[in-house]
Amino acid sequence: MIHVKGLSKHFSKGKGLFDLNFEVKKGEVFGYIGPNGAGKSTTIRHLMGFMKPDRGHSSINGMDCWNNAARIQDQTGYLPGEIVFLEGMSGLGFLSLLQKMRKQETTKRRDELIERFQLDVKTPIRKMSKGMKQKVGIIAAFMHDPQVLILDEPTSGLDPLMQRVFIDLILEEKQNNKTILMSSHSFQEIERTCDSAGIIKDGKLVALEDMYLLRSVQRRVFEVKVKSENDMEHILRSSLDIEVKGARTVHVTVQGNDQEFVQLLSRCEVQHIDTRPQDLEDIFMHYYDRREVEK
Amino acid sequence: MSLPLYLAMMKSHGKMLGGFIYGASAYIVLIIWIYPSIADMQGFNDMIGALPESMRKLIGMENGINSLSDYVAGEFYGMLFLIILMVYVILTSTRVMARLVDQGSMAYLLATPHSRVKIAITQAAVLLTGLALIVGFTTFSGIAASEWLIEGYQLDVASFIALNILTFLTFSSIAGYCFLISSISNDEKKALGISAGITLLFYILNMAGKLSEKTEWMLNFSIFKWYDPIKMINNETDAFWIGCSLSISTFLLFMISLIVFKKRNLPL
Ligand SMILES: Nc1ncnc2c1ncn2[C@@H]1O[C@H](COP(=O)(O)OP(=O)(O)OP(=O)(O)O)[C@@H](O)[C@H]1O
Ligand SMILES: [Mg+2]
Repeated sequence: MIHVKGLSKHFSKGKGLFDLNFEVKKGEVFGYIGPNGAGKSTTIRHLMGFMKPDRGHSSINGMDCWNNAARIQDQTGYLPGEIVFLEGMSGLGFLSLLQKMRKQETTKRRDELIERFQLDVKTPIRKMSKGMKQKVGIIAAFMHDPQVLILDEPTSGLDPLMQRVFIDLILEEKQNNKTILMSSHSFQEIERTCDSAGIIKDGKLVALEDMYLLRSVQRRVFEVKVKSENDMEHILRSSLDIEVKGARTVHVTVQGNDQEFVQLLSRCEVQHIDTRPQDLEDIFMHYYDRREVEK
Repeated sequence: MSLPLYLAMMKSHGKMLGGFIYGASAYIVLIIWIYPSIADMQGFNDMIGALPESMRKLIGMENGINSLSDYVAGEFYGMLFLIILMVYVILTSTRVMARLVDQGSMAYLLATPHSRVKIAITQAAVLLTGLALIVGFTTFSGIAASEWLIEGYQLDVASFIALNILTFLTFSSIAGYCFLISSISNDEKKALGISAGITLLFYILNMAGKLSEKTEWMLNFSIFKWYDPIKMINNETDAFWIGCSLSISTFLLFMISLIVFKKRNLPL
């Protein structure tokens, strides 16, 4: 459905996109992950036909993203990374303008989404909080029931509850065989919804894998605090990757050996357990280490 | 053109546009209203006559005030109306394109199944409609005021309308290059600055060109060379050809804007 072939775009100072290649099949949810300034939004701008590639091309549903930008929009929903609406309108006013521009008559889907995200649409846009704007943006992207969704950091600004609502929406659309590309900084967010993921860094695609594989190489660090010194010794004797962090506190790194970890804990009296969030770089680095080893 | 977008844009420009229409109409009514008292005033023309010639040219009263038409053309079309329209055209042309690209809301317009050209045509239509409304209301107010507000003085309606059409076309050309600048800019402030800079330069060249014979050559570099309200209202210019050339340059400038906007990278 979405094809990106040899896409390159050079900005000044060596920034840009360099020979990107990936494909999102129909009915697939693709996660596009990378740190700030990696080129996620730039890729998406090419898919939307806002930018002309220096080399290579991208297409949606067989139509070239630059030459057929307008036609592609018929079946595409877009959520920009930085949402700015037209001035001097209410949320509802803006949504109905977009509907009229799309010659869409029914408001059923729109109202359903408004209900779902509990959005007060009468609020003038300039008085909206970041999260409210994000909701208007999400509704605008989904309300015409498009076959393809291109979402740039869709959950930014949403509270945890609304992030859940959003994830449910994505899963539902996946059931309906929609093709979705969403960018994110967070592996966790992508993990819950995506079938495959591309990891971009400095404008280059450094990994392109299905989610199952990425998950299996994902490292998680748990902070564990145990009751007694006895337990502590017990833990230190295990074959797991362990780092002592203080009195009766350790960091345990788990990567594919979850079972072993659970068994170890079952033999101890655990006072407190917590996961440490891992940054993307870490995940990628280990992803690479692992691949080198396999070779 | 997208009609829903056009209407939404007209609505959001409504307040500002209303202000311009009100300002221009009220002012023309006012100066027509006071015309009889000036015309009746003994010695007014002597006073004007005492001014140095370059000064008279500058304030649009080379030959003193001989008729209501001269007075309206010189006092309003040659001065205040020029400035009102300049401000409107520069502000609005920047708003309808560069501002949307700068802020990012253009992304939403282009995320609908309308091509860039279609969106840009809609925005251009908003700009030109506004200009037409200001000139139209002013024309109407001018005619109405001269018919009903004062007695004994007549405005030649046909040549007054011709003057207004030429005014509209002159400012459409100005709108044309401002729109072009707006279409290629990513930065709203920059677009505003460049449009204002160029237009002001034209205006200054025009003023300087009228000051003396030595500086007359400067007029050739100003779009306002074509715009001489007093001559226009007295049918002393080749209105048809001026109108044609202004229309053609307007058309070309907007065409170039559309093409450039279609082909360029947008940082949305
Ligand atoms: N129009 C442009 N001209 C020059 N450089 C640009 C342009 N657009 C983006 N860049 C640069 O390209 C790089 C990638 O930017 P991009 O917005 O794609 O990052 P991103 O992955 O979306 O980051 P974030 O997670 O912060 O949204 C950045 O270094 C940015 O400065
Ligand atoms: Mg981004």
